[in-house]
Amino acid sequence: MKELFSKKGLYIVGAAAAVAVIAAVSVALSAGNAGFASLLSEPFFKPIKSAMTSLVDSMEHIYDTMYRFDETQAENRELRARVAQLEQEYREYTEISEENERLRNLLGFAERHEDMSMEPVTVLSWTASNYASSFTVSKGSSAGIALYDPVVDEYGFLVGQVTSVTATSSVVTTLIDTTTSLGALLYENGETGVACGDYDLFGSRKLKVSYISDMSSAVIGGTVVTSGSGGIYPAGLVIGTVSGISVSSSGLDPYAVVEPSTDLSALSHVYVITDFAVSE
Amino acid sequence: MAKGKYRTLVKLLILAPYLILLYILQATVFTRVTLMGVKPLLLPMAVAGVAMFFGRTDGGVFGLFAGMLMDLSYNQATVQFTLLLTLLGILLGMLSDTVLVQGFPSFLVSALLGLFLVSAYQALSLVVLRGAPLRLTAAIGLRQSLYSLIFTIPVYYISRFLCRVMGAGRGI
Repeated sequence: MKELFSKKGLYIVGAAAAVAVIAAVSVALSAGNAGFASLLSEPFFKPIKSAMTSLVDSMEHIYDTMYRFDETQAENRELRARVAQLEQEYREYTEISEENERLRNLLGFAERHEDMSMEPVTVLSWTASNYASSFTVSKGSSAGIALYDPVVDEYGFLVGQVTSVTATSSVVTTLIDTTTSLGALLYENGETGVACGDYDLFGSRKLKVSYISDMSSAVIGGTVVTSGSGGIYPAGLVIGTVSGISVSSSGLDPYAVVEPSTDLSALSHVYVITDFAVSE
Repeated sequence: MAKGKYRTLVKLLILAPYLILLYILQATVFTRVTLMGVKPLLLPMAVAGVAMFFGRTDGGVFGLFAGMLMDLSYNQATVQFTLLLTLLGILLGMLSDTVLVQGFPSFLVSALLGLFLVSAYQALSLVVLRGAPLRLTAAIGLRQSLYSLIFTIPVYYISRFLCRVMGAGRGI
Protein backbone atom coordinates (compact mmCIF):
# COMPACT_ATOMS: atom_id res chain seq x y z
CA MET A 1 0.00 0.00 0.00
CA LYS A 2 2.88 2.20 0.78
CA GLU A 3 4.27 1.63 -2.71
CA LEU A 4 0.89 2.26 -4.28
CA PHE A 5 0.74 5.81 -2.99
CA SER A 6 4.26 6.61 -4.01
CA LYS A 7 4.87 8.82 -7.04
CA LYS A 8 5.22 5.90 -9.41
CA GLY A 9 2.03 4.40 -8.02
CA LEU A 10 0.14 7.66 -8.62
CA TYR A 11 1.19 7.58 -12.29
CA ILE A 12 -0.18 4.07 -12.65
CA VAL A 13 -3.49 4.98 -11.00
CA GLY A 14 -3.71 8.04 -13.22
CA ALA A 15 -3.05 6.03 -16.37
CA ALA A 16 -5.69 3.47 -15.36
CA ALA A 17 -8.21 6.21 -14.70
CA ALA A 18 -7.48 7.75 -18.10
CA VAL A 19 -8.01 4.39 -19.82
CA ALA A 20 -11.26 3.94 -17.90
CA VAL A 21 -12.49 7.35 -18.88
CA ILE A 22 -11.63 6.76 -22.57
CA ALA A 23 -13.39 3.38 -22.44
CA ALA A 24 -16.48 4.89 -20.79
CA VAL A 25 -16.64 7.68 -23.38
CA SER A 26 -16.15 5.15 -26.17
CA VAL A 27 -19.01 2.96 -24.90
CA ALA A 28 -21.24 6.00 -24.46
CA LEU A 29 -20.58 7.16 -28.03
CA SER A 30 -20.86 3.76 -29.72
CA ALA A 31 -24.49 3.24 -28.57
CA GLY A 32 -24.50 -0.54 -28.77
CA ASN A 33 -21.87 -1.00 -31.49
CA ALA A 34 -18.40 -2.38 -30.82
CA GLY A 35 -16.53 0.50 -29.34
CA PHE A 36 -13.03 1.70 -29.77
CA ALA A 37 -11.83 -0.21 -26.73
CA SER A 38 -13.39 -3.38 -28.00
CA LEU A 39 -11.80 -2.95 -31.37
CA LEU A 40 -8.47 -2.45 -29.75
CA SER A 41 -8.72 -5.27 -27.24
CA GLU A 42 -10.41 -7.91 -29.42
CA PRO A 43 -7.39 -9.16 -31.42
CA PHE A 44 -5.40 -9.41 -28.23
CA PHE A 45 -7.96 -11.02 -25.94
CA LYS A 46 -9.81 -13.28 -28.39
CA PRO A 47 -7.21 -16.08 -28.55
CA ILE A 48 -6.70 -15.86 -24.80
CA LYS A 49 -10.44 -16.02 -24.17
CA SER A 50 -10.79 -18.86 -26.60
CA ALA A 51 -7.96 -20.78 -24.96
CA MET A 52 -9.38 -20.13 -21.50
CA THR A 53 -12.85 -21.26 -22.57
CA SER A 54 -11.41 -24.41 -24.02
CA LEU A 55 -9.41 -25.03 -20.85
CA VAL A 56 -12.44 -24.48 -18.65
CA ASP A 57 -14.52 -26.77 -20.85
CA SER A 58 -11.89 -29.47 -20.54
CA MET A 59 -11.69 -29.03 -16.77
CA GLU A 60 -15.45 -29.17 -16.56
CA HIS A 61 -15.51 -32.33 -18.68
CA ILE A 62 -12.88 -33.97 -16.46
CA TYR A 63 -14.78 -32.90 -13.37
CA ASP A 64 -18.05 -34.25 -14.83
CA THR A 65 -16.39 -37.51 -15.76
CA MET A 66 -14.96 -37.88 -12.28
CA TYR A 67 -18.10 -36.79 -10.58
CA ARG A 68 -20.35 -39.01 -12.69
CA PHE A 69 -18.01 -42.02 -12.98
CA ASP A 70 -19.89 -44.10 -10.45
CA GLU A 71 -23.15 -43.13 -12.05
CA THR A 72 -21.86 -44.04 -15.53
CA GLN A 73 -20.43 -47.30 -14.28
CA ALA A 74 -23.75 -48.21 -12.69
CA GLU A 75 -25.54 -47.31 -15.89
CA ASN A 76 -23.05 -49.41 -17.87
CA ARG A 77 -23.67 -52.39 -15.58
CA GLU A 78 -27.39 -51.96 -15.97
CA LEU A 79 -27.10 -51.77 -19.76
CA ARG A 80 -24.89 -54.86 -19.87
CA ALA A 81 -27.43 -56.75 -17.79
CA ARG A 82 -30.16 -55.55 -20.10
CA VAL A 83 -28.21 -56.67 -23.18
CA ALA A 84 -27.62 -60.08 -21.61
CA GLN A 85 -31.30 -60.35 -20.78
CA LEU A 86 -32.29 -59.37 -24.34
CA GLU A 87 -29.83 -61.89 -25.77
CA GLN A 88 -31.30 -64.57 -23.54
CA GLU A 89 -34.80 -63.59 -24.60
CA TYR A 90 -33.70 -63.67 -28.24
CA ARG A 91 -32.24 -67.15 -27.81
CA GLU A 92 -35.43 -68.34 -26.13
CA TYR A 93 -37.48 -66.73 -28.86
CA THR A 94 -35.38 -68.44 -31.54
CA GLU A 95 -35.72 -71.79 -29.80
CA ILE A 96 -39.47 -71.36 -29.36
CA SER A 97 -39.79 -70.22 -32.95
CA GLU A 98 -37.88 -73.28 -34.21
CA GLU A 99 -39.90 -75.60 -31.99
CA ASN A 100 -43.08 -73.95 -33.19
CA GLU A 101 -42.08 -74.54 -36.80
CA ARG A 102 -41.22 -78.17 -36.06
CA LEU A 103 -44.54 -78.71 -34.31
CA ARG A 104 -46.46 -77.05 -37.14
CA ASN A 105 -44.74 -79.32 -39.63
CA LEU A 106 -45.42 -82.32 -37.43
CA LEU A 107 -49.03 -81.27 -37.02
CA GLY A 108 -49.41 -81.29 -40.78
CA PHE A 109 -47.85 -84.74 -40.94
CA ALA A 110 -49.92 -86.01 -37.99
CA GLU A 111 -53.12 -84.69 -39.56
CA ARG A 112 -52.37 -86.69 -42.69
CA HIS A 113 -51.61 -89.81 -40.62
CA GLU A 114 -54.16 -89.93 -37.84
CA ASP A 115 -53.56 -93.65 -37.43
CA MET A 116 -50.08 -93.05 -36.00
CA SER A 117 -48.98 -92.41 -32.43
CA MET A 118 -45.76 -90.47 -32.14
CA GLU A 119 -43.31 -89.78 -29.36
CA PRO A 120 -41.12 -86.68 -29.71
CA VAL A 121 -37.50 -87.29 -28.70
CA THR A 122 -34.29 -85.28 -28.68
CA VAL A 123 -31.09 -86.44 -30.35
CA LEU A 124 -28.45 -86.77 -27.63
CA SER A 125 -25.34 -88.01 -29.42
CA TRP A 126 -24.19 -89.62 -32.62
CA THR A 127 -22.08 -92.73 -32.84
CA ALA A 128 -18.33 -92.15 -33.08
CA SER A 129 -18.03 -95.06 -35.51
CA ASN A 130 -17.15 -94.45 -39.13
CA TYR A 131 -18.78 -97.72 -40.15
CA ALA A 132 -22.25 -97.03 -38.79
CA SER A 133 -24.85 -94.29 -38.71
CA SER A 134 -26.82 -94.20 -35.50
CA PHE A 135 -27.66 -91.84 -32.69
CA THR A 136 -28.96 -91.98 -29.15
CA VAL A 137 -32.26 -90.31 -28.27
CA SER A 138 -33.63 -89.03 -25.00
CA LYS A 139 -36.45 -91.51 -24.36
CA GLY A 140 -36.76 -95.25 -24.01
CA SER A 141 -39.19 -97.99 -23.13
CA SER A 142 -40.68 -95.99 -20.24
CA ALA A 143 -42.05 -93.58 -22.88
CA GLY A 144 -43.56 -96.44 -24.87
CA ILE A 145 -40.72 -96.79 -27.36
CA ALA A 146 -40.06 -100.34 -28.52
CA LEU A 147 -37.45 -102.10 -30.62
CA TYR A 148 -37.80 -101.56 -34.41
CA ASP A 149 -40.14 -98.59 -34.05
CA PRO A 150 -39.79 -96.35 -37.14
CA VAL A 151 -38.41 -92.85 -36.64
CA VAL A 152 -39.31 -89.79 -38.72
CA ASP A 153 -38.41 -86.11 -38.71
CA GLU A 154 -40.94 -83.29 -38.33
CA TYR A 155 -41.82 -83.44 -42.02
CA GLY A 156 -42.58 -87.15 -41.81
CA PHE A 157 -39.45 -88.10 -43.78
CA LEU A 158 -38.08 -91.45 -42.69
CA VAL A 159 -34.96 -91.23 -40.51
CA GLY A 160 -34.48 -94.85 -39.46
CA GLN A 161 -35.60 -97.26 -36.82
CA VAL A 162 -35.00 -97.99 -33.15
CA THR A 163 -32.41 -100.75 -32.80
CA SER A 164 -31.73 -100.69 -29.08
CA VAL A 165 -33.85 -99.61 -26.12
CA THR A 166 -33.25 -99.00 -22.45
CA ALA A 167 -35.75 -97.55 -20.00
CA THR A 168 -34.59 -93.98 -20.54
CA SER A 169 -32.87 -93.90 -23.91
CA SER A 170 -32.87 -95.58 -27.32
CA VAL A 171 -30.49 -95.99 -30.21
CA VAL A 172 -31.81 -95.11 -33.66
CA THR A 173 -30.06 -96.60 -36.68
CA THR A 174 -30.50 -94.37 -39.71
CA LEU A 175 -31.61 -95.48 -43.13
CA ILE A 176 -28.12 -95.08 -44.65
CA ASP A 177 -26.57 -97.56 -42.19
CA THR A 178 -25.38 -100.72 -43.90
CA THR A 179 -27.55 -102.88 -41.63
CA THR A 180 -30.75 -101.10 -42.70
CA SER A 181 -33.04 -102.93 -45.08
CA LEU A 182 -36.69 -102.10 -45.79
CA GLY A 183 -39.35 -102.47 -48.43
CA ALA A 184 -39.41 -99.50 -50.82
CA LEU A 185 -41.74 -98.31 -53.53
CA LEU A 186 -40.94 -96.05 -56.46
CA TYR A 187 -43.86 -93.70 -56.09
CA GLU A 188 -44.12 -92.61 -59.75
CA ASN A 189 -44.45 -96.06 -61.29
CA GLY A 190 -45.34 -98.36 -58.41
CA GLU A 191 -42.23 -100.56 -58.76
CA THR A 192 -41.14 -102.15 -55.50
CA GLY A 193 -37.65 -102.97 -54.28
CA VAL A 194 -35.48 -103.18 -51.19
CA ALA A 195 -33.88 -100.05 -49.80
CA CYS A 196 -30.65 -100.65 -47.92
CA GLY A 197 -27.47 -98.94 -46.83
CA ASP A 198 -24.32 -99.54 -48.82
CA TYR A 199 -20.62 -99.02 -48.01
CA ASP A 200 -20.05 -97.44 -51.41
CA LEU A 201 -22.72 -94.83 -50.77
CA PHE A 202 -22.27 -94.50 -47.02
CA GLY A 203 -19.70 -91.70 -47.23
CA SER A 204 -22.00 -89.61 -49.43
CA ARG A 205 -24.96 -90.23 -47.06
CA LYS A 206 -27.03 -92.10 -49.63
CA LEU A 207 -28.64 -95.52 -49.85
CA LYS A 208 -29.69 -97.80 -52.66
CA VAL A 209 -32.86 -99.52 -53.82
CA SER A 210 -32.18 -102.94 -55.30
CA TYR A 211 -34.30 -105.73 -56.76
CA ILE A 212 -36.45 -103.45 -58.87
CA SER A 213 -37.90 -105.64 -61.59
CA ASP A 214 -37.89 -102.91 -64.25
CA MET A 215 -34.96 -100.60 -63.51
CA SER A 216 -35.53 -98.67 -66.74
CA SER A 217 -38.72 -97.32 -65.22
CA ALA A 218 -36.84 -95.65 -62.36
CA VAL A 219 -37.04 -91.89 -62.80
CA ILE A 220 -34.22 -89.61 -61.71
CA GLY A 221 -35.75 -87.24 -59.19
CA GLY A 222 -38.57 -89.67 -58.52
CA THR A 223 -39.80 -90.18 -54.96
CA VAL A 224 -39.10 -93.36 -53.03
CA VAL A 225 -41.47 -94.25 -50.19
CA THR A 226 -41.85 -97.16 -47.79
CA SER A 227 -43.90 -99.98 -49.22
CA GLY A 228 -45.20 -101.09 -45.83
CA SER A 229 -44.39 -104.71 -46.57
CA GLY A 230 -43.33 -106.62 -43.48
CA GLY A 231 -45.35 -104.41 -41.18
CA ILE A 232 -42.35 -102.77 -39.51
CA TYR A 233 -42.67 -99.45 -41.34
CA PRO A 234 -45.99 -97.79 -42.22
CA ALA A 235 -46.61 -97.51 -45.96
CA GLY A 236 -46.05 -94.18 -47.66
CA LEU A 237 -43.27 -92.65 -45.53
CA VAL A 238 -40.94 -90.69 -47.78
CA ILE A 239 -37.44 -92.21 -47.92
CA GLY A 240 -35.88 -89.90 -50.48
CA THR A 241 -35.46 -89.17 -54.17
CA VAL A 242 -33.70 -91.15 -56.87
CA SER A 243 -30.44 -89.39 -57.70
CA GLY A 244 -29.01 -91.92 -60.13
CA ILE A 245 -28.90 -95.45 -61.44
CA SER A 246 -25.84 -97.56 -60.83
CA VAL A 247 -24.72 -101.13 -61.00
CA SER A 248 -22.99 -103.37 -58.46
CA SER A 249 -19.27 -104.14 -58.78
CA SER A 250 -20.16 -107.54 -60.25
CA GLY A 251 -21.98 -105.69 -63.01
CA LEU A 252 -25.03 -107.87 -62.59
CA ASP A 253 -27.24 -106.00 -60.16
CA PRO A 254 -28.48 -102.56 -61.12
CA TYR A 255 -29.79 -100.35 -58.36
CA ALA A 256 -31.22 -96.89 -57.85
CA VAL A 257 -29.16 -94.49 -55.77
CA VAL A 258 -31.41 -92.64 -53.34
CA GLU A 259 -30.70 -89.42 -51.52
CA PRO A 260 -32.61 -89.32 -48.22
CA SER A 261 -35.17 -86.54 -47.91
CA THR A 262 -34.31 -86.01 -44.28
CA ASP A 263 -31.19 -83.99 -43.54
CA LEU A 264 -29.26 -86.38 -41.31
CA SER A 265 -26.62 -83.80 -40.45
CA ALA A 266 -29.18 -81.38 -39.03
CA LEU A 267 -31.35 -83.62 -36.86
CA SER A 268 -31.97 -82.33 -33.36
CA HIS A 269 -35.50 -83.57 -32.69
CA VAL A 270 -37.12 -86.65 -34.19
CA TYR A 271 -40.38 -88.54 -33.68
CA VAL A 272 -40.69 -92.24 -32.91
CA ILE A 273 -43.80 -93.84 -34.37
CA THR A 274 -44.90 -96.02 -31.49
CA ASP A 275 -48.06 -97.29 -33.13
CA PHE A 276 -49.66 -97.28 -36.58
CA ALA A 277 -52.30 -99.12 -38.56
CA VAL A 278 -50.70 -101.83 -40.68
CA SER A 279 -51.91 -101.80 -44.30
CA GLU A 280 -50.51 -104.60 -46.39
CA MET B 1 2.74 -98.62 1.12
CA ALA B 2 1.07 -95.33 1.95
CA LYS B 3 3.23 -93.66 -0.68
CA GLY B 4 2.19 -96.26 -3.25
CA LYS B 5 -1.48 -95.71 -2.50
CA TYR B 6 -1.01 -91.98 -2.71
CA ARG B 7 0.66 -92.28 -6.11
CA THR B 8 -2.17 -94.50 -7.38
CA LEU B 9 -4.73 -91.98 -6.18
CA VAL B 10 -2.90 -89.10 -7.85
CA LYS B 11 -2.63 -91.12 -11.07
CA LEU B 12 -6.35 -91.77 -10.94
CA LEU B 13 -7.12 -88.11 -10.30
CA ILE B 14 -4.95 -87.07 -13.25
CA LEU B 15 -5.76 -89.73 -15.81
CA ALA B 16 -9.51 -90.09 -15.18
CA PRO B 17 -10.41 -86.49 -16.16
CA TYR B 18 -8.07 -86.76 -19.17
CA LEU B 19 -9.85 -89.92 -20.31
CA ILE B 20 -13.30 -88.41 -19.76
CA LEU B 21 -12.33 -85.26 -21.64
CA LEU B 22 -11.12 -87.28 -24.63
CA TYR B 23 -14.27 -89.43 -24.53
CA ILE B 24 -16.50 -86.34 -24.53
CA LEU B 25 -14.53 -84.87 -27.43
CA GLN B 26 -14.70 -88.11 -29.42
CA ALA B 27 -18.36 -88.83 -28.66
CA THR B 28 -19.78 -85.34 -29.06
CA VAL B 29 -17.61 -82.73 -30.76
CA PHE B 30 -15.80 -84.89 -33.32
CA THR B 31 -18.91 -86.84 -34.35
CA ARG B 32 -19.84 -83.60 -36.11
CA VAL B 33 -16.39 -82.52 -37.27
CA THR B 34 -15.74 -84.90 -40.12
CA LEU B 35 -12.93 -84.85 -42.65
CA MET B 36 -12.99 -86.95 -45.83
CA GLY B 37 -16.34 -88.26 -44.51
CA VAL B 38 -14.84 -89.77 -41.35
CA LYS B 39 -14.46 -88.95 -37.66
CA PRO B 40 -11.17 -89.19 -35.76
CA LEU B 41 -10.30 -91.76 -33.09
CA LEU B 42 -8.76 -90.12 -30.04
CA LEU B 43 -8.95 -92.87 -27.44
CA PRO B 44 -6.53 -95.37 -29.07
CA MET B 45 -3.95 -92.59 -29.35
CA ALA B 46 -4.44 -91.66 -25.71
CA VAL B 47 -3.85 -95.31 -24.79
CA ALA B 48 -0.62 -95.20 -26.80
CA GLY B 49 0.45 -92.05 -24.94
CA VAL B 50 -0.28 -93.42 -21.48
CA ALA B 51 1.35 -96.76 -22.31
CA MET B 52 4.49 -94.97 -23.48
CA PHE B 53 4.86 -92.63 -20.52
CA PHE B 54 3.37 -94.69 -17.70
CA GLY B 55 4.23 -98.25 -18.69
CA ARG B 56 2.40 -101.47 -19.49
CA THR B 57 0.33 -101.77 -16.29
CA ASP B 58 -1.07 -98.27 -16.41
CA GLY B 59 -1.38 -98.56 -20.18
CA GLY B 60 -3.46 -101.71 -19.76
CA VAL B 61 -5.71 -100.20 -17.07
CA PHE B 62 -6.14 -96.99 -19.07
CA GLY B 63 -6.86 -99.11 -22.17
CA LEU B 64 -9.52 -101.03 -20.27
CA PHE B 65 -11.47 -97.90 -19.35
CA ALA B 66 -10.79 -96.21 -22.69
CA GLY B 67 -12.13 -99.32 -24.43
CA MET B 68 -15.27 -99.30 -22.31
CA LEU B 69 -15.91 -95.69 -23.19
CA MET B 70 -15.17 -96.37 -26.85
CA ASP B 71 -17.76 -99.16 -26.88
CA LEU B 72 -20.14 -96.68 -25.31
CA SER B 73 -19.40 -94.03 -27.93
CA TYR B 74 -20.06 -96.56 -30.67
CA ASN B 75 -23.60 -97.17 -29.34
CA GLN B 76 -22.86 -100.84 -29.00
CA ALA B 77 -23.43 -103.21 -26.12
CA THR B 78 -20.35 -105.33 -26.86
CA VAL B 79 -16.94 -105.34 -25.18
CA GLN B 80 -14.82 -105.59 -28.31
CA PHE B 81 -12.99 -102.31 -27.82
CA THR B 82 -12.70 -102.92 -24.09
CA LEU B 83 -10.64 -106.00 -24.88
CA LEU B 84 -8.85 -104.50 -27.85
CA LEU B 85 -7.68 -101.31 -26.14
CA THR B 86 -6.65 -103.18 -22.98
CA LEU B 87 -4.43 -105.43 -25.09
CA LEU B 88 -3.20 -102.41 -27.01
CA GLY B 89 -2.24 -100.62 -23.78
CA ILE B 90 -0.32 -103.62 -22.53
CA LEU B 91 1.36 -104.27 -25.90
CA LEU B 92 2.44 -100.66 -26.45
CA GLY B 93 3.55 -100.39 -22.82
CA MET B 94 5.73 -103.45 -23.30
CA LEU B 95 7.20 -102.03 -26.49
CA SER B 96 7.89 -98.78 -24.70
CA ASP B 97 9.47 -100.61 -21.77
CA THR B 98 11.74 -102.65 -24.00
CA VAL B 99 12.21 -101.41 -27.53
CA LEU B 100 10.91 -97.90 -28.07
CA VAL B 101 12.78 -94.83 -26.89
CA GLN B 102 10.51 -92.26 -25.30
CA GLY B 103 9.97 -89.35 -27.64
CA PHE B 104 7.67 -88.12 -30.35
CA PRO B 105 8.88 -90.43 -33.16
CA SER B 106 8.27 -93.47 -30.96
CA PHE B 107 4.89 -92.12 -29.94
CA LEU B 108 3.99 -91.57 -33.60
CA VAL B 109 4.88 -95.18 -34.35
CA SER B 110 2.86 -96.38 -31.33
CA ALA B 111 -0.14 -94.22 -32.23
CA LEU B 112 0.00 -95.40 -35.85
CA LEU B 113 0.20 -98.99 -34.72
CA GLY B 114 -2.77 -98.50 -32.38
CA LEU B 115 -4.87 -96.75 -35.00
CA PHE B 116 -4.11 -99.31 -37.68
CA LEU B 117 -4.82 -102.19 -35.32
CA VAL B 118 -8.21 -100.72 -34.39
CA SER B 119 -9.05 -99.90 -38.01
CA ALA B 120 -7.93 -103.33 -39.20
CA TYR B 121 -10.01 -104.99 -36.51
CA GLN B 122 -13.08 -102.92 -37.47
CA ALA B 123 -12.66 -103.53 -41.19
CA LEU B 124 -11.97 -107.25 -40.92
CA SER B 125 -14.78 -107.89 -38.44
CA LEU B 126 -17.22 -106.29 -40.86
CA VAL B 127 -15.82 -108.33 -43.74
CA VAL B 128 -16.05 -111.57 -41.78
CA LEU B 129 -19.31 -110.99 -39.95
CA ARG B 130 -21.33 -109.00 -42.47
CA GLY B 131 -19.66 -109.76 -45.76
CA ALA B 132 -18.71 -106.13 -46.27
CA PRO B 133 -16.26 -105.47 -49.14
CA LEU B 134 -12.69 -105.26 -47.79
CA ARG B 135 -11.76 -102.53 -50.28
CA LEU B 136 -14.36 -100.16 -48.86
CA THR B 137 -13.96 -100.93 -45.18
CA ALA B 138 -10.16 -100.68 -45.50
CA ALA B 139 -10.52 -97.31 -47.25
CA ILE B 140 -12.65 -96.01 -44.38
CA GLY B 141 -10.12 -97.37 -41.88
CA LEU B 142 -7.25 -95.69 -43.69
CA ARG B 143 -9.07 -92.37 -43.81
CA GLN B 144 -9.96 -92.46 -40.12
CA SER B 145 -6.36 -93.32 -39.20
CA LEU B 146 -4.99 -90.48 -41.31
CA TYR B 147 -7.47 -87.99 -39.88
CA SER B 148 -6.68 -89.13 -36.33
CA LEU B 149 -2.95 -88.58 -36.91
CA ILE B 150 -3.59 -84.83 -36.80
CA PHE B 151 -4.18 -85.22 -33.08
CA THR B 152 -0.94 -87.04 -32.30
CA ILE B 153 0.86 -83.80 -31.42
CA PRO B 154 -1.58 -82.56 -28.74
CA VAL B 155 -2.10 -86.07 -27.36
CA TYR B 156 1.68 -86.61 -27.14
CA TYR B 157 2.36 -83.36 -25.33
CA ILE B 158 -0.60 -83.76 -22.97
CA SER B 159 0.50 -87.32 -22.09
CA ARG B 160 4.06 -86.12 -21.50
CA PHE B 161 2.83 -83.21 -19.41
CA LEU B 162 0.67 -85.50 -17.26
CA CYS B 163 3.61 -87.81 -16.79
CA ARG B 164 5.76 -84.90 -15.62
CA VAL B 165 3.04 -83.66 -13.29
CA MET B 166 2.94 -87.13 -11.81
CA GLY B 167 6.69 -87.23 -11.61
CA ALA B 168 6.29 -90.70 -13.03
CA GLY B 169 9.50 -92.60 -12.75
CA ARG B 170 10.06 -93.58 -16.35
CA GLY B 171 13.03 -91.37 -17.00
CA ILE B 172 11.10 -88.31 -18.11
